[in-house]
Amino acid sequence: MSARLHILKEALRTGVVTKKYPYEPVKVPEGFRGKPSIDVEKCIGCGACVNVCPPNALSAEIDLNKSVKRIILFLGKCIFCGRCQDACPTEAIKLTREFELSTLTTNDLYQVVELKMAKCEICGKPYATIRQVLFTAKSVPKDQRPLLLLCSECRSKVSAKYISYARW
Amino acid sequence: MSIKLFMKSLWVFHLNSGSCNGCDIEVLNVFTPYHDVERLGIKLVASPRHADVIVFTGPITRETLPKAIKAFTAIPEPKAVVAVGSCACGGGIWYDSYAVIGGIEAFYKILREEYKVKIPPTVYVPGCPPKPEAIIYGIAVLRGILRQKQRRTYFTEKEVPELTKDLIINIEKYMESKSRKEIYNGE
Amino acid sequence: MHISTTKILDSLSKYGKIEKVHENTYFVEVSADKVREVSEILHWKLGGHFSVTVGSDERPINGYFKVYHVFLMDKQKLSIIVHVKVNPVVPKLPSITPIIPGANWHEREVHDFFGIFFEDHPNLERLILPYDWPKGVYPLRKDVSIRGLRSKLLKNNAESEGKRKAEEEGYIVPIGPYHPALHEPEYFELYVDGEKIVDAKYKGFHVHRGIEKVAEEKLTINQIPFIAERICGICGYTHNVAYCQAVENAAGIEVPLRAKYIRSILLEIERIHSHLLWFGVLFHLLGFDTGFMMTWLIREKIMDLAEVLTGNRKNYGLNLVGGVRRDINSEKIEFSLKTLNYVETKLRSVLDKMLKLKEVISRTKNIGLLNRNEAKKLSVVGPVARASGIDTDVRKHHPYAAYSEVEFKVPVYDEGDVYSRALVRYDEVFESINILKQLLKNIPKGNIMADEVKIPEYRKGLGLTEAPRGENVHLVITGRDNKIYRWRPRAPSYNNIPSTLIMLKGENLADAPAIIASIDPCFSCTDHLVIIDIKRNIKRRIRLKELARRRQC
Repeated sequence: MSARLHILKEALRTGVVTKKYPYEPVKVPEGFRGKPSIDVEKCIGCGACVNVCPPNALSAEIDLNKSVKRIILFLGKCIFCGRCQDACPTEAIKLTREFELSTLTTNDLYQVVELKMAKCEICGKPYATIRQVLFTAKSVPKDQRPLLLLCSECRSKVSAKYISYARW
Repeated sequence: MSIKLFMKSLWVFHLNSGSCNGCDIEVLNVFTPYHDVERLGIKLVASPRHADVIVFTGPITRETLPKAIKAFTAIPEPKAVVAVGSCACGGGIWYDSYAVIGGIEAFYKILREEYKVKIPPTVYVPGCPPKPEAIIYGIAVLRGILRQKQRRTYFTEKEVPELTKDLIINIEKYMESKSRKEIYNGE
Repeated sequence: MHISTTKILDSLSKYGKIEKVHENTYFVEVSADKVREVSEILHWKLGGHFSVTVGSDERPINGYFKVYHVFLMDKQKLSIIVHVKVNPVVPKLPSITPIIPGANWHEREVHDFFGIFFEDHPNLERLILPYDWPKGVYPLRKDVSIRGLRSKLLKNNAESEGKRKAEEEGYIVPIGPYHPALHEPEYFELYVDGEKIVDAKYKGFHVHRGIEKVAEEKLTINQIPFIAERICGICGYTHNVAYCQAVENAAGIEVPLRAKYIRSILLEIERIHSHLLWFGVLFHLLGFDTGFMMTWLIREKIMDLAEVLTGNRKNYGLNLVGGVRRDINSEKIEFSLKTLNYVETKLRSVLDKMLKLKEVISRTKNIGLLNRNEAKKLSVVGPVARASGIDTDVRKHHPYAAYSEVEFKVPVYDEGDVYSRALVRYDEVFESINILKQLLKNIPKGNIMADEVKIPEYRKGLGLTEAPRGENVHLVITGRDNKIYRWRPRAPSYNNIPSTLIMLKGENLADAPAIIASIDPCFSCTDHLVIIDIKRNIKRRIRLKELARRRQC
């Protein structure tokens, strides 16, 4: 008998613990992994996040007619792991602290970033976004920077000439 | 929307179509004392014939597909669907395995083409697993109490600098002379 | 009588060559006609137990199929793996099920996925693949790709076949007050005579999602921990750690000590919340909803603690091969100690009294008996084995992570009924709180990630952890191009579920929910029972919760 009374006493002592959500907001701790969001000023369209995403929620498309590259983020497939945040070279994609993401259609769960691509000087094919070329130019020595304006096939043909001359 | 016919309370039927049980336990957590969704009038029922709303979790596996179709068509009109978790919204991390149909969108395609069934209003709750508060928010959006916050965004670049040899050899001077916003002319 | 390591290795060396793969793990190659003899010696005579059978298609490497049988020797802290080559043209092998009944399901699975035929197996039927899978297509062979399977099979109108089959077999049987439509496909079929259960059968595996094929073809080595966490919704982190340990053992990577402490802290947090969840489910099935609400109320504090430490309530996403991704600072350690004190005082005041209630004792004592001999034959693991008198715990006998640096006890009871399984889990919760306090106070300084992570190709590794439900075994063979060649995760419930079929015979129908929940299958609240009355020839379908509600005596 005393076991039952003891449980009743404990239940009364605990009292009411219900949180008043959705009539009051609720706080999340620091470091919470919420919705990922791409900062459109910092993104250079390199596609490093696309390579590491396990469920392929991030994907990249190249449109040759308009010569643009699109990075597409679909929140429906995202597993909120944070690997894109670790891989980005310019800290453009970060996990925020939002968790209220419900929508009535899947169309609203997309974020698309469209960036213009640079065309190769020799063959005219688009090979990388303009922002990516400007970003990598800083870490390349000055005399080799003109090679950045070519696509990878033309670049290897041009630099082969330098190597063959260097033997003499 | 026909779902507005329900002024106060919704009776919910929960169907697990191949989930890992993470989202199922969060759905059960919503009925425990800290979140207590029964104060909003929502009850868990045992048969789809008594229910108004069906809660799906899990990517729909091949083995559970006929069972899911039967349970879905057994709910009387008007009805609604809540897709909880990243597996139900888009297939999740299993989206192209050989044993998985791939989430609610693919399920609706089968229903529309083979069974000629009208698609009911649906709410998607992404998360892996979504917090119990996020599930309550999803049901509030379905009932029309709260408005949805997440919208589609599309960004395009306006003007870009022209790439010449001169610019790229003196890139540091160019970067210092203009502000970041002017180079990456965005909005 | 203690048998030493050298004596075991000497007695095995006359069957074949012994190879040491990494610390305390040996691979022995035997020929097909000696497999039964070696298995009998290891399981029954030398004091070890059978763990898992793994099949592998190694025709691109050396031209054969391979079958690996894993045995664990607890007293000597060894793992011994016996492997056999199988002819690729006519794949056949003698089965070990007549000697070790626990290997029944393992061999059926290898037959499903690779097409290897086991001679003298009692019932070599389909176990895991869906009912409408075509014969002759074996998914895990290396000459079959995911894209080929998906395009060929989904076009085959699986949906309309399913509709036809459902109408033939009569899945909907509306009789009387029971609920007509389906919630999930059948798990247990109980044959009853009045109120007593005469026989039981199990059908399951509707959650088969094809994880092994996805991991071998699509994902890189560091993306697999994220899919391993989503195998189970309660004990996902143990699968994560077991996979990382298997790859680290195979490649010889040394994990820094601080990372091992962080992994152990999260493993114990998971154990506490899993056991509290189980108590809630047990009380709910016995009709005691106050107990269900109180234990899940205390459990919420543990979930909040996990959210502060890692960023999410479940699916911590913390591991990579070679260490962990995020660190914990002193503020978080203080918050953890405060939470643990609150949980301990609450549990000691309320859970103890709930297990002493007259109603709970009368419905769980001497119900669902499993004696020690049956437990050894079926190779059960975890609290089910510890409640039947077998002393086995991976944290003591094959130490991993930081468990060799802490002191704790392993509870063992002898009766083998539902009440002693509850007592084993009750003791384990307090031991976990004790271990956590030691880990949090003594955590050393240092790095959290290994310096160099290089993974050579075609190396084998074994990873063992103790999940809340039992022992967890992952076997890994690394491949080339940053991918894995073969990965086999085995969850502990795989070995435990066949034991319910023995526990259910001769019991009352009203006790069936509590017995099935006592082995802690991965989610018993939505299980389905089909009751077949053999005298009156009626078949009824009922949900486990409804049965518990209607039969509360």
